[in-house]
Amino acid sequence: MSAQRLISNRTSQQSASNSDYTWEYEYYEIGPVSFEGLKAHKYSIVIGFWVGLAVFVIFMFFVLTLLTKTGAPHQDNAESSEKRFRMNSFVSDFGRPLEPDKVFSRQGNEESRSLFHCYINEVERLDRAKACHQTTALDSDVQLQEAIRSSGQPEEELNRLMKFDIPNFVNTDQNSFGEDDLLISEPPIVLETKPLSQTSHKDLD
Amino acid sequence: MKHIINSYENINNTARNNSDCPHVVLPEEIFFTISIVGVLENLIVLLAVFKNKNLQAPVYFFICSLAISDMLGSLYKILENILIILRNMGYLKPRGSFETTADDIIDSLFVLSLLGSIFSLSVIAADRYITIFHALRYHSIVTMRRTVVVLTVIWTFCTGTGITMVIFSHHVPTVITFTSLFPLMLVFILCLYVHMFLLARSHTRKISTLPRANMKGAITLTILLGVFIFCWAPFVLHVLLMTFCPSNPYCACYMSLFQVNGMLIMCNAVIDPFIYAFRSPELRDAFKKMIFCSRYW
Repeated sequence: MSAQRLISNRTSQQSASNSDYTWEYEYYEIGPVSFEGLKAHKYSIVIGFWVGLAVFVIFMFFVLTLLTKTGAPHQDNAESSEKRFRMNSFVSDFGRPLEPDKVFSRQGNEESRSLFHCYINEVERLDRAKACHQTTALDSDVQLQEAIRSSGQPEEELNRLMKFDIPNFVNTDQNSFGEDDLLISEPPIVLETKPLSQTSHKDLD
Repeated sequence: MKHIINSYENINNTARNNSDCPHVVLPEEIFFTISIVGVLENLIVLLAVFKNKNLQAPVYFFICSLAISDMLGSLYKILENILIILRNMGYLKPRGSFETTADDIIDSLFVLSLLGSIFSLSVIAADRYITIFHALRYHSIVTMRRTVVVLTVIWTFCTGTGITMVIFSHHVPTVITFTSLFPLMLVFILCLYVHMFLLARSHTRKISTLPRANMKGAITLTILLGVFIFCWAPFVLHVLLMTFCPSNPYCACYMSLFQVNGMLIMCNAVIDPFIYAFRSPELRDAFKKMIFCSRYW
């Protein structure tokens, strides 16, 4: 550090041309840089760096968009149905791509209709989406259970799905997911939300 | 690190008459404005999370960690500018013990903010990854206790590393460690997000044939990674060139843009809340509630 200060002292005495008092605090300079005999443009590193950076980002963007058009479909495993719930909210968080009514019209499966209905956080779109958002998290899990029952899923898958938790970017009440016990449905709540889920099923047809 | 960070202080006073690449000097008002905006934005994010009970979830704690590191970076800039102004006005002695200590503390604040940013972004990506791929076990993997432990470990490590790096800033291994963190983390985040994106793409292919969906996902991913790369890479390259080729004319011309590179890091602190914190609808609602409640006062 002291060597640097000596150098800076010398430099300050040499170059104190346009001010009375100049001091360099920890001014680091090895010596004057000579610009003689440059083969390339002096800003070549700057230009090369920024152009390379821009090319890299654009290349990354094109790779990502190409991935959307080509590529093998994802392997269907046991957890793909659970991943679907999260994918919905994850994709909608990424950029709100899904239209609930278009999704419902293409999907013949009533179970996935109601599930997508609950877990797409498109507040500004439809009243039925708003109705679902206004229900508590417990209600939406009960709707999930209802939908699963109505579509006739086996019991072990039902139990697995009952432990399902909404990930953090979905617009539902977070507090309810502090404990897994809350996901167990109770008969009175089932009865209360039955008309809601039936109405929602009817709306989607 | 002092010589790297403070090498532009004297530019206002002296002219490099033997260099064809004059240092690009940005007015201090720009630095002040950007830093203050960065501090305010990240403070709003912190307040919104701490005031709302329903936002006290692990994912928001990670976003808070990112907000804290961005705020520290902006605070560093404000403090450094204040010190420079005080020195230029003559209130502080050059190379006094107080100034040396103050500079050391400020530099370690900068390195702390840098490392905190890097680790916060990695942890946010890892949390999103666990949300997607280990969905059923998410709440048993990412508990509040583990979140607090992970954040404590990260910030303790960053503080220790920051102090160590400032003490040993003129050694080459320090610089190599510092600059290698950036590409390592970039590769880590890139792998996580691309894997998540592939799953999202295959999912939307199954349920709908809307190409717009995937295009928006690609745009969001590119923005996330592009902002990070554009804001941090110039400064990392500056540190590398400063260590390995300080007297090369090409390197000197790149290093003359030091203030622009520093400003890009400040801009990163300003942009990060918009691409991480305010993408979440709950946080936006909490923020609107705060604004509307304050209107009635």
